[in-house]
Amino acid sequence: MGMIFLGLRNLLRNKSRLALIVVLIGAPFFLLLAMQSIGEAVDQQTAEMNRSVNTVLQLRARGSMGHVNMSNQDRLLPDSVVEKVRAIDHVIQVEPYLLAMSPTTLPNFAMHVGLAPAAVKRLESHGESGNPRIIAGREFTPEDAGQDVAIIGQGYAEWAGIKPEDIGKATFTADPTRTHPVIYGINRPKRTLRIIGMYASGYVFGDLQMFIPIDTFRSIYGIEHGFSWVFVQADSVDNVAAIAQRLQETVGDVADILAPKSAAVFTATTSRTVIQLAGAGGVAALVLMIVVVFFVLLMQVRERAREIGTLKAIGASNGGVTIQFLTEAIAFTVLGGLLGVVVFQLLGEAITARLFSLGIGSFLPSQYKPLFDSLSVSSHVSGSVLVLVVAVAVFAAVIGSSYGVWQAIKLSPLEAMKDE
Amino acid sequence: MNSALIELRGVSKSYRKGGETIDAIADIDLEVQETGMVAVVGPSGSGKSTLLHMLGAMDRPTRGEINVAGQVVNRLSQGELTRFRRQTVGFVFQTFNLIPNLTALENVALPMEFNGVSKAARLKRAKSLLERFQLGPRLKHRPRELSGGEMQRVAIARAVANEPRLVLADEPTGNLDSRSGQIIYEVLREISRERTVIVVTHAEDLARLADRVIHIRDGRLLDAPPMPGLPLDRNELHFVQQRAI
Ligand SMILES: Nc1ncnc2c1ncn2[C@@H]1O[C@H](COP(=O)(O)OP(=O)(O)OP(=O)(O)O)[C@@H](O)[C@H]1O
Ligand SMILES: [Mg+2]
Repeated sequence: MGMIFLGLRNLLRNKSRLALIVVLIGAPFFLLLAMQSIGEAVDQQTAEMNRSVNTVLQLRARGSMGHVNMSNQDRLLPDSVVEKVRAIDHVIQVEPYLLAMSPTTLPNFAMHVGLAPAAVKRLESHGESGNPRIIAGREFTPEDAGQDVAIIGQGYAEWAGIKPEDIGKATFTADPTRTHPVIYGINRPKRTLRIIGMYASGYVFGDLQMFIPIDTFRSIYGIEHGFSWVFVQADSVDNVAAIAQRLQETVGDVADILAPKSAAVFTATTSRTVIQLAGAGGVAALVLMIVVVFFVLLMQVRERAREIGTLKAIGASNGGVTIQFLTEAIAFTVLGGLLGVVVFQLLGEAITARLFSLGIGSFLPSQYKPLFDSLSVSSHVSGSVLVLVVAVAVFAAVIGSSYGVWQAIKLSPLEAMKDE
Repeated sequence: MNSALIELRGVSKSYRKGGETIDAIADIDLEVQETGMVAVVGPSGSGKSTLLHMLGAMDRPTRGEINVAGQVVNRLSQGELTRFRRQTVGFVFQTFNLIPNLTALENVALPMEFNGVSKAARLKRAKSLLERFQLGPRLKHRPRELSGGEMQRVAIARAVANEPRLVLADEPTGNLDSRSGQIIYEVLREISRERTVIVVTHAEDLARLADRVIHIRDGRLLDAPPMPGLPLDRNELHFVQQRAI
């Protein structure tokens, strides 16, 4: 008890030095907290991505884009594929699509997408982001199957002169005979569809598309069999690779299998890299703390050699001397930790984001940059983080001070007093 | 007649420097009785401090046996040594060695704290000791707010806090002017009524106050009658004068 008290009083011997030590310890603590929060944010981001895009595989006829009227790209998947895919373990949903291209103002074109009314409306796009959001009218219902109805993208609607307030009354006439440098005409009658909803996707090509119930699509284009694309939803990311393997075995002879590469790669490499970098930063912070404690204790033991000798000469035990120095070391590391926490609460979000883009962002492949720009780092310090801070402080104090304390206790009182 | 508090048999302390062996203390036999003041005198490097350190369990002999208050000091374990320093001896240093961030009162109370004395009891005793040494108005002063003589009186109060049977003082007046030194002698003289006080000194007048003077040269005791008031021999007087210049 007495030695703990002496140790705490020793803290106040030199207040400006104490302030310096606390800042030197607080800085790596801040780093530790920043790294911890980055790791957490990436974890969350990854989980989010895993939920949304990571679990969907796509099938197309081998070597074909599968667009029903696109020159040399019009080979379709056979009907049997759907049943075979449904039979695979861990597949929770199978969504067949049909796609046709339709010229707009040359050289552009729009995409007509046939799907089951209940299917997720996946856009024909070059990225997985920007799933459509209804901005006027309504979604499909099961009753829309086989009806002459459609949900149109706002860009396509604008080209066709359809305004949001017209939705429900407006119509759109699909004309399969129209051509384009890469689109050939199908000799079928025009069909007028009632526009029941309008969506926005957030990017230009995504908004140049129109969703049609798949049976309606078949009758417009005269496609009785086959599918352009089949989307396969796995029950979890962990099973994606196995499902891809099974797909290869069962339908690989007729289909190209597009596993969610970007997302899988992201999970497997990038987020792991980031978490590793954050972890390495955390370890570096801990090492830095231990080094600071090490030198502070060494300096104090040197400075107070005579005092240590005196304490022993008047009856202090080695245990007592150890407790005194350890108390002091733990006290200033905990103070440093609290300073780190306070600064992190005040400035954490701003500084961490910058730290991230400089320290970690630059190690990432450029295509992931947008994902990380959206990373939201929280400076919230929870109770468990506080416990972590105190545990790390005590750990750093014990490890960092062990050499200095050993120097203090290994000497006899006489040697300590002479050691100046 | 009192029984011997201290008994040394064939005690040596050697240091090895390079190939050479220095005998700081060479084969000393010595007995010191309970209570009274003993002065240890001798030229610089003669082994006075070395002897004192071994008596106080601050250093171990190379050979021989040291018996203090019934304990064979050279055979004590680490824990027993700590208890010995706590209870059996008190040390007074030339450089005072007070703990700088503790008050006079706390400095005196500290060894009692190590010894498990309750807070109220140790503060009461520390206060009465300091008052006894005319430091009543200085209880809350820190060492840097005290004069050298005051610091040394605090150190003596600290040395006797646990009522040790032996107090060892190594040139306690070495850093003090003669007036302050005089007061320190009187205090040491006073505490030696209840215990044995061994003082290493170069000061002739302090040696003259002692009940017994031990002469030491080249690590050996000189044959001199253990009588109070014995003048220092001429060589030592000469040395003292040189040192004083
Ligand atoms: N740690 C050591 N290593 C080597 N030699 C030592 C050591 N300590 C003391 N000595 C030697 O032992 C001898 C006795 O030293 P000691 O300190 O006991 O002398 P002293 O009588 O106290 O002298 P002074 O009056 O100057 O304090 C000296 O020759 C000294 O050089
Ligand atoms: Mg000496």
